Amino acid sequence: MINTKHKIEFDAEKCVGCQQCYKSCFVDVIRWDKEAKKPVFKYVEDCEHCFYCQSVCKKDAIKVVPDYSSEHLMQSFEAYK
Amino acid sequence: MKTINKLQSDVLIIGGGIGGLACAASLKEHNPELDVLVVEKNFAGYSGKANRGGGVLQYFDLNRIDPAEFAVFHANAIGAFLGDQELMMKYVSMNTEMLDKLASWGVNLPKNDDGTYHVMPTGPMTAMICVDLDITLKVRKYAEKLGVRFIDKTALAELYKDGDHISGALVYSILDGELSLINAKRIVLATGSQNYRIGSMWSSGRGDGIAAAYRAGAAMRNAEFGNFAQLAKVKSHNEIVFGENFMYNAKNEFITKNFREFRETDINSNAIREWYTQMTAGNGPIHLDFGPQGGDDGALERLWNRPYGHKFRVLNDESGNAVDTDLEICPMFIGEQSPIMVGHDMQTTIPGLYAVGDCCYSGSGLAGAVPAPPGRNRGSGILNAVFDALVCGEAIGTQKIEASFGAISDAAVEKDVNALFAPLDKADGVSPVKVIEFVQKAMAPVELSVWMHKDRMDKAMGFVNEAKKLVPQMKAKDWHELLNCREAEAMVLSAEMHYKASEMRKESRGWFLREDYPEMDNKNWLKWIIVENKGGDMTLSTMDVPIAGWPAQPQN
Ligand SMILES: Cc1cc2nc3c(=O)[nH]c(=O)nc-3n(C[C@H](O)[C@H](O)[C@H](O)COP(=O)(O)OP(=O)(O)OC[C@H]3O[C@@H](n4cnc5c(N)ncnc54)[C@H](O)[C@@H]3O)c2cc1C
Ligand code: SF4
Ligand code: SF4
Repeated sequence: MINTKHKIEFDAEKCVGCQQCYKSCFVDVIRWDKEAKKPVFKYVEDCEHCFYCQSVCKKDAIKVVPDYSSEHLMQSFEAYK
Repeated sequence: MKTINKLQSDVLIIGGGIGGLACAASLKEHNPELDVLVVEKNFAGYSGKANRGGGVLQYFDLNRIDPAEFAVFHANAIGAFLGDQELMMKYVSMNTEMLDKLASWGVNLPKNDDGTYHVMPTGPMTAMICVDLDITLKVRKYAEKLGVRFIDKTALAELYKDGDHISGALVYSILDGELSLINAKRIVLATGSQNYRIGSMWSSGRGDGIAAAYRAGAAMRNAEFGNFAQLAKVKSHNEIVFGENFMYNAKNEFITKNFREFRETDINSNAIREWYTQMTAGNGPIHLDFGPQGGDDGALERLWNRPYGHKFRVLNDESGNAVDTDLEICPMFIGEQSPIMVGHDMQTTIPGLYAVGDCCYSGSGLAGAVPAPPGRNRGSGILNAVFDALVCGEAIGTQKIEASFGAISDAAVEKDVNALFAPLDKADGVSPVKVIEFVQKAMAPVELSVWMHKDRMDKAMGFVNEAKKLVPQMKAKDWHELLNCREAEAMVLSAEMHYKASEMRKESRGWFLREDYPEMDNKNWLKWIIVENKGGDMTLSTMDVPIAGWPAQPQN
């Protein structure tokens, strides 16, 4: 998908800086802030709402909120309705 | 010129999904002395697809099934005589060995109390096992223990040859652009397939490894079988495996019966054509009705205990179910072009350059006339990658490797570095997203890419050419976007290969459907289409399928 509008809610208070979420993203949405020892959700427009980062976070610090309407399968079926 | 780190390894593996990781482990088991380095665009063990999929592994009861029997069934029912039956027999015969290997590497394969694998039958010849989704993490850990080295967040840019033989690769960090030139005696590509960023879970398949191989001169085979599509719910876009057996139109007519008599375990392209035919006849929207038993969300989770993957699957299902108020469906184009041509030892047409897994599933000839994975052969994605990895691991691991490294031309590297970074140096230009949009317009609508016709393919090629024109104008603001530029360029190449090869194949066969050539033509088309880069031009030729000595032969 391109130009998605999914949101990622991050609770920095809960985060213990384990880097699991950073490593888990398969499309480079998440970067690592070395000073703050926290993830940065830098390229959210490329997020695929796969939920992997949320599922590996043992501290429940991440919530992926998909906006499905921002994903387009590009079938021309609207035209045939 | 920019600073370039100089690195070396006996074997360089590009891509740290299950294919690359299994190959690394196998190489070290065969020859512990080999220096093996894995370079991965994201994080090996976390990246790729094996940990985001169903985790289904195909199982063959080898006490009951003869590999030749399955090869015959496959050629007739699935691969439509375009598959390499010899390779298929080897793949089937290694099934237990592959599962045992994974288990020995620490992968959690479910077992019964008596120690046998927990298997569920899926058809007269096949069965399945579900593996937990930490499969890749387990194999990375094992490979690390054997001394395999890893460089993460680093992408392949170009491959180099000394004469004909592979000699190295240029890679760059996607975090800060740090460049490394890696001299290697053997290189294994394990970079996955081309999915054009359409289906979300498939989105890491961007074909940049395929493109690098093509640029280096490696031949491609079966590029026209990169047009997989699956039925998905129109709101969440969650795919519905098996849904094609339950399709109804707006008049509540059961339309599955128009293309198949009995339920099958896997989708075929006729289901996609049927959707399109019904929609254009004004009979849409199309929905599924599973009857009183309902859909089967979560069936795998109930059958197999998978503690690692459980949360991931539940989050996906719950989130999708919250928006799916009905079972309206439409096709989701997935692609899965996997065309790097390899021989039975997984070597490409460039000596010393090998490929394993999703980047060469069609290119190996294993799948036949279907896009792969899954190649209408569920549970063969992961195991095909493991199969290739074991074959490649043995081929390289038992070779006497020369002591010296091949040369890499400084001038070629300088030219490539300049080309690689060109989008970063531009003040004005177009975003790679613009290029991808044109490619998606060409590939996503199934009446262009799956239910094909010359006129519609010409229209699609129009979009591909628009995309191609924009490639030199792409601009990147940072390293992440630079990666997107490289991937966009690879998508243009894949789309071009798809349509050129598809126009050439003037028949319908297996998954491959042409409205203007509806019949299978064994007289003229028991052939593979080979796509090659000759001095910058895309050339197409054919190669006869050497079917004469194989167990299955077409009737006419
Ligand atoms: C939703 C879904 C469900 C699936 N379900 C199943 C199933 O139930 N059973 C089954 O058997 N198969 C399934 N599959 C298919 C299976 O996951 C794949 O066939 C298998 O994982 C392929 O492994 P691979 O290592 O060849 O490729 P990948 O897993 O795609 O790995 C390729 C790796 O290469 C890296 N890479 C790519 N380009 C570069 C570059 N230029 N430089 C450096 N690194 C690069 C990528 O980041 C990635 O880590 C499924 C796939 C998906 C998406
Ligand atoms: S996985 Fe959770 S705890 Fe670990 S770094 Fe990410 S947000 Fe923080
Ligand atoms: S949901 Fe998936 S794609 Fe999105 S940031 Fe998390 S890991 Fe990356």
